[in-house]
Amino acid sequence: MRELIDFLLSYKHWFVFLLLEVTSLIGLFSSNGYQKSVYFTTANSIVGYAYTTISSVTSYFHLASVNRDLEAENEKLRMENVALRNHLHAANADSVKLDGILTDYQVVMAQVVNSTLHKATNLITINKGSADGIEPEMAVVSSRGVVGVVYLTSAHYSIVMPLLNVNCRISCRLKQSDYFGTLEWKRGDSRSTYAVGVPRHAKVKSGDIVETNGYSDIFPPGVPIGKVSNIGDSEDGMSYSLKVNIFTNFETLRDVSIITNYSNPERRSLEDEAQTAEQGEE
Amino acid sequence: MSLLRLIIVLVLQVLILNQIHLFGYVTPIFVGYVLLCLPKKTSRIALLLWGFIVGLLFDMFSNTAGMATAACTALGMFRNSLMSPFTPRDTDDMFHPTVIALGATRYFIYSLSSMFVVHAIFYGLDALSLHDWQLTLLSIIGSTIFAALLCLFAELIVRKRK
Repeated sequence: MRELIDFLLSYKHWFVFLLLEVTSLIGLFSSNGYQKSVYFTTANSIVGYAYTTISSVTSYFHLASVNRDLEAENEKLRMENVALRNHLHAANADSVKLDGILTDYQVVMAQVVNSTLHKATNLITINKGSADGIEPEMAVVSSRGVVGVVYLTSAHYSIVMPLLNVNCRISCRLKQSDYFGTLEWKRGDSRSTYAVGVPRHAKVKSGDIVETNGYSDIFPPGVPIGKVSNIGDSEDGMSYSLKVNIFTNFETLRDVSIITNYSNPERRSLEDEAQTAEQGEE
Repeated sequence: MSLLRLIIVLVLQVLILNQIHLFGYVTPIFVGYVLLCLPKKTSRIALLLWGFIVGLLFDMFSNTAGMATAACTALGMFRNSLMSPFTPRDTDDMFHPTVIALGATRYFIYSLSSMFVVHAIFYGLDALSLHDWQLTLLSIIGSTIFAALLCLFAELIVRKRK
């Protein structure tokens, strides 16, 4: 302790020197405008530089928590994104493709309440009926394409005969070349059907789009059905039998639309009349 | 004696030397001369206080708050170190560093080095940046030489008369 005091005493003039210098410098910087401004400018830039350096170092220590926050926010946004996408999908489910093709038609939305897929005569039950303006022979479509034809109606329910029914016959055409045929389903495969009766001189290639042709008074022309996946010959060898992958996924089908104003009574009555006359002649 | 010298030097400085701006940048700070004359026995603390007071008085009359105070305090700090190379070893405590005791050449170098400390700090604080450092350097060198010559002449005048 004594040595320390001696040590300090032997350097006392240094302390006095520093004290006096600091005093004079305080006087200098507090009373002279120029020196004051230099002091503040320099001090500010030095302090600013020091803070920048410090924060550039300390920011690394916060990275873990920043990362955690970002991770949480990412997860939240991801969940929100999924929810919104589901929402959007549900909202657009019945309108995406129909908007372009079916703008002129009145459409009734319905949900599938029951369906079979693995029988020969599959049927789909939907939750709209004659009370909603649904009648037999109306077209049923999904957001992806053709579903089937209304077969029977009750007040609040309807039975739809889908493409996946051996009795279902829907005339169709190749979008690229306009050659037409008829859809026939062969039992067992719920993802594909066959377009038969396509003439042999038709130019067909795998991937061609098959759509409704408007010959029947059920479907408007241009509603997509599916895509040609395999080109084969019919049993009699006179025409092509094209395997068509159906756009509509019947296994997950939930929302469907029924076109209510396409059927033309005048045309139908005329066609019925002609058929009756023909039968009379026979 | 020292007090009288202080008053005379201060009057000289404020009334005459502060009005001199040789070449626009040389203004000698002659008040440091008071510290050069203090006897060898003066303690460092006393030298520091002398320097502080002298500088403070200079600043009060020159409106240069703190600049000369800092410079003269530094001179008080280093005066003994600057003086010792020029003094004979076997001197007693009453030794006065005069031009007679040291000789003109030694005394001039002694005053030159002392004045350099004062003017380097004074003009350094005045500029407080390296902007125009050539001018600052010229001010320091010119004023140092001027002030050292003044010290030498003052010594010659005062000591010869005795």
